[in-house]
Formats: sequence, C-alpha cells, structure tokens
Amino acid sequence: MVTVGIPRALLYYQYYPMWKVFLEKLGAEVVVSPPTNKSILNSGVTRGVQDTCLPVKVFFGHIIALVGKCDLMFVPAVTSLGKKSYNCSKLIGLPNMARALIPESPPLLAPEINCEKGRYNLYRNIYAVGRYFTSNPFKLKKAVEEGWASNLDYWNKMSDEKITPLQAIDGKLSTDVNASSFTVALIGHPYIIYDEYVSHRLISRLQKMEVKVVTPEMVSQEELDAATRRLVGVPHWLFEPEIIGAGGYYLETGVDGIIIVAAFGCGPDSMMLSIVEHRARESEIPLLPLSLDEHSSEGGLVTRLEAFLDMVKRRKRVCV
Amino acid sequence: MKGYLGVDVGSVTTKLALLDENEQLIASIYLRTQGNPVNMVKQGLREIQKQISPEVEISGVATTGSGRYLAGVLVGADLVKNEITTHAVAAMQHISDVQTIFEIGGQDSKIIIIRDGVVIDFGMNSVCAAGTGSFLEHQAERLNVKIEDFGGHALRSENPARIAGRCTVFAESDMIHKQQLGYPLDDIIYGLCQSLIRNYLNNVALGKQIQPRLVFQGGVAFNKGIIRAFNEVFDSEVYVPPHNELMGAIGAAILVHEEMEIKQNHHKSNFKGFGVSDVEFKTSSFICKACPNLCEISQISGNGKVLARWGGRCDMWERVPES
Repeated sequence: MVTVGIPRALLYYQYYPMWKVFLEKLGAEVVVSPPTNKSILNSGVTRGVQDTCLPVKVFFGHIIALVGKCDLMFVPAVTSLGKKSYNCSKLIGLPNMARALIPESPPLLAPEINCEKGRYNLYRNIYAVGRYFTSNPFKLKKAVEEGWASNLDYWNKMSDEKITPLQAIDGKLSTDVNASSFTVALIGHPYIIYDEYVSHRLISRLQKMEVKVVTPEMVSQEELDAATRRLVGVPHWLFEPEIIGAGGYYLETGVDGIIIVAAFGCGPDSMMLSIVEHRARESEIPLLPLSLDEHSSEGGLVTRLEAFLDMVKRRKRVCV
Repeated sequence: MKGYLGVDVGSVTTKLALLDENEQLIASIYLRTQGNPVNMVKQGLREIQKQISPEVEISGVATTGSGRYLAGVLVGADLVKNEITTHAVAAMQHISDVQTIFEIGGQDSKIIIIRDGVVIDFGMNSVCAAGTGSFLEHQAERLNVKIEDFGGHALRSENPARIAGRCTVFAESDMIHKQQLGYPLDDIIYGLCQSLIRNYLNNVALGKQIQPRLVFQGGVAFNKGIIRAFNEVFDSEVYVPPHNELMGAIGAAILVHEEMEIKQNHHKSNFKGFGVSDVEFKTSSFICKACPNLCEISQISGNGKVLARWGGRCDMWERVPES
C-alpha cells in the first residue's frame, strides 16, 4: 500500500477530513505529522526561507518530520477557490519551495487547485493525482465526492456544535467553561490559533482565565461569507471570510472582546486586521492585536492577555 | 495600623510601596534589580521594615511587573497583577481626569488610554527595546554621561541633532557620526531624547487617541529631556506625578487593598512576613524530557522545599506538591 504524508500545518486544519477520505478511498494509507513541537519548529525555521512567515516555516518542519515515514507527500497548491480571490503567494508556492528546500522529501503530490482557471483545469489536476493510485475514473470521482462530503460534514459539525478543529479531528475533550461571564472572539488563521505550539496554547490559556472562547470555525460558511460581503464586498483574499468575515460577524452579534492573532510579517493579515480593527473601534468593542513569531516570549503574551481581560472585565462592570 | 504592600519587580528596577488604610504612601524603596530579583525583593523588604513602626500590620501584599510571579511566590502575594492594570489604577487615583498614560520603563514602554475611569485601550512595545530606558542608559554610557545628568544636558540643548531612533544599533552609528561632525554633547543628548519619543509615538502609540490629561510615569519620567521632548510634541502639558517611579507598586497596593476589603475577615493575608528576607532561596533550572518540546523549567525553592516552577509549555510542572 502507498503511504501518503500530510503535514499537520497550514490548510490541514481546514481540509484534513477531505484529504484523508479522498486519499483513503483511492487506496492510500494516510500518515499525519505529530503536533508542532520544538524540533519541528527548529528544523522548519533553519531550513525555511528567511522572508516567509512562521506558519510556512513550521509547514516545512512538518514535511521534514514526515521524511522516511511516507512514499508520497501531499502538498496541494491552493491558488484560488473563487472568482478573483487568491491565496497568499507563499501558500501558492508551497510545492515549489518544498521541492527546493527539502530535496530529501519523497515525491510531492501537488495538485494545483485554481478555480480561476475553470472546471476543466481543476478536473485535470485532480485526475493527475488520482492516476498515482487508480486508472478507474469512476473510483476517482467517487473518492472526490466522498471527500468533499466529509469536509462539509466537518465544517457543519464545527459550526453546529461550536467546537474547534482540535475537538472535531482529534476528539480532544472540550474544556469549555460554561460558567464564564464573558465571551472573547479569537480571530486568526486556523493554522495559527489551533497550533498549540505556535499560539502558546492561547485557547486553553483563555479558558483557564474563565473566558468563553469563540473562533471563526464556529460560524457557518454562509454567515462568514455574508459578513465579509457586508464589510468589504467581494473578497480579494481567499481567507478573508475567516478573518474579516468572522471579525465582522462577532462584532455584529456582540462579544465582550476580540483578540486577533497574526503571524509576524503576514502581508494579507496586515490589511485585513486594520479593517477589523477599524470596525471594532466604531462599535467600541475592545480589540487586542497579537503578533506571533518564533521569538515570541510567553511573558509578553501573558501580560497582554491579563491586561486585556482586566480591561474587558472592568468595562463590562461599568457598562452594566 | 493596617498596611498594604505593593511589590513591582521590573526588568531593571525593583520597587516596593507600602500604603496605609487611606491609601497614603508610608514607606517605599527603589532598587536596581541587577539581574537578581530574589535578592532585591529580600533587600526591599528589609528596607521597608526599617522605615515603618512595628505597629504596622501588613494586611495585604500584591506583586506586579515582569517578575511578578517569582516575587509573588517569595512574599506570599494575595494578588498578582499585570503592570498595565496597576499603572492605570495608580494614575487614576492620583489624577482623576487622566485620559492618557505614557509609561516608559527599563525594557518596555506602554501607552494606556482611559475614558471615564476605565481602561479602554493599551499598547506595548512589540519586538524591540529601542524606545525604552535601557536604550537611553546604553547611550549615556557610550557618551560617558551619568544617566542622572542626562536631563540637565538635554535642557541646555538649542539645536538638537537628528538621530535615528528606530534601532539602537543604527542610533549608535548615527550618534557616532554626529559626534565626528562635532555636534555638542547637549545637542546629541537631546537629539536622543527626541528620537526616543519619535520612536515611541510611531510605534507604541500608533493609532491611539491621545487626549489630555496626559500623564507620564515610570523610571524614565525622571528624565527632564524626555519630558521636554514630550511637551514639544503635544499642545497640552505632560504631567509627571510624584512617585512616578513607584506607580506600579502603588497600583498593586491599591488593588490588594480593594481585594482584601471585599473579602473582609474571610481571608488573612498570605504575606510571609518580613522574615522572608532571611530565608535562603535557590533558583535552578532543568530541561524536561517528557516530550520533544524540551522545555526549560525553572524552579525556586526556599529552605530546601520547592515553592514554584515555571517555563513549561504544558502545566505538567506547574502543580507543586503540597507540604
């Protein structure tokens, strides 16, 4: 049986169920890298391109962690998923960077997903992947359909049950605090907020401080898209719904505070963040921007979180 | 008489302030941390004990600053509070109409925005210590000027030199260049003050709504040159409260007073007493090999007993065996 490695980084948090079902239906065995740890981060940072952001470097660390454990490496280049909306250039170029930086990696399974180029191009790219495993086009079609269905289930499950990918994929127990008196929306790319090493366990830290945490994944795709349209119209970046949409949604539905987490040096985030920041100021909801990179110290993070929560609490007490 | 003690362990200095029931300052001490917070807290306690009469009973103690968790374990804190909240509380008590607080300390600088007695926004320096006290101290050393005399030189300047303040390394090369060109010392020093303020306003205070009354506190507020530079930027005058260097410790003491008032009689203070200054504390560290993260765990023990541990990515070591 052919073993395919999936790095536990970047788009993993959004599409893993689909990839897993798709590959398994084709007859492959799927192996996922372990959660980010020190050695993964270090190997990614030393091998990665200097200019890229931390999550991309972490991604390379995960590829390195999978070397020797799989026959093929699944690194799709997700370029565009909608009209005139594109992914970050560093994510589009992932397979190319991976080939250049990690030559010891097993051959990459790197379909380009580009909806801008039309249906035919998409089918052809997926077909090229399928040919590694089967020559039966019907089997391939079935694998694609079942994969997509399982991802829809995954998204619905998260938005219906208000859970995070960590709970939906790994079955992590929910440590949600029900008795908490206030709610904070944690906005950021899934690959930052759910990577417990990169985010310094931000979610569980907040829960320990008796905060109810809500994230973009707990909102349905339709509502995210609608909120994005209300705020900026047609999105230009592929992940605008999860940042601008989620920020807008929570600002409209009302939360006690918003924490936005971004990777240091992320270009698209710098623009999307200021849109949400601007909107938060208008609606007078406190917002804390956090920027993370590999040098982030836990001390600074904790001080900011504590001060922010003190502020949110005091404000709420005064307003009520 | 009841007293409430605030302990502020910063990166560069350690401050202790003791308030009475009416929140008036009755004793205080300002020490250099010198990289040894444990000894400085002990020394601080000794000095405070010397300053007060034996009737004063410590009814509450709170710690703040970057070393707040360590200090909290040492003294037996009833409350451990971040420095933003304590600074805001202290400023609001002294100046009721404050709307903006500038706080520049040894390793970090902050801005706190207050409206109607509530903190509504704050900012902290993100990655670089260029706009902080350490920057000035380092440059003073280079110029062979005592940091205490820095302000006096800055006030005498008439044509300040323009010095890049974004980064200490660039500031230094810029400063050396200006020295080679023959700029007088006063002008270079005031140029440094201006560059620090420029950096602070473009960095920490970016996008914040700065409205009077402006209050400037923290150790750097001793520096007259910085105050002059601030005043040149803003229309309204920047006010420096008395005890500007103690504000964090005072705020901590106020908060613990509030806290203990609410709890009234239910709880006695955890304060370990001034005798703590005689206890031998030992800090050590080791690497946890339980998972690939290899966290560096530091621990503090007193009288051979482990009191607390920090530094793990998980809470495996945070629980300290009782007894």
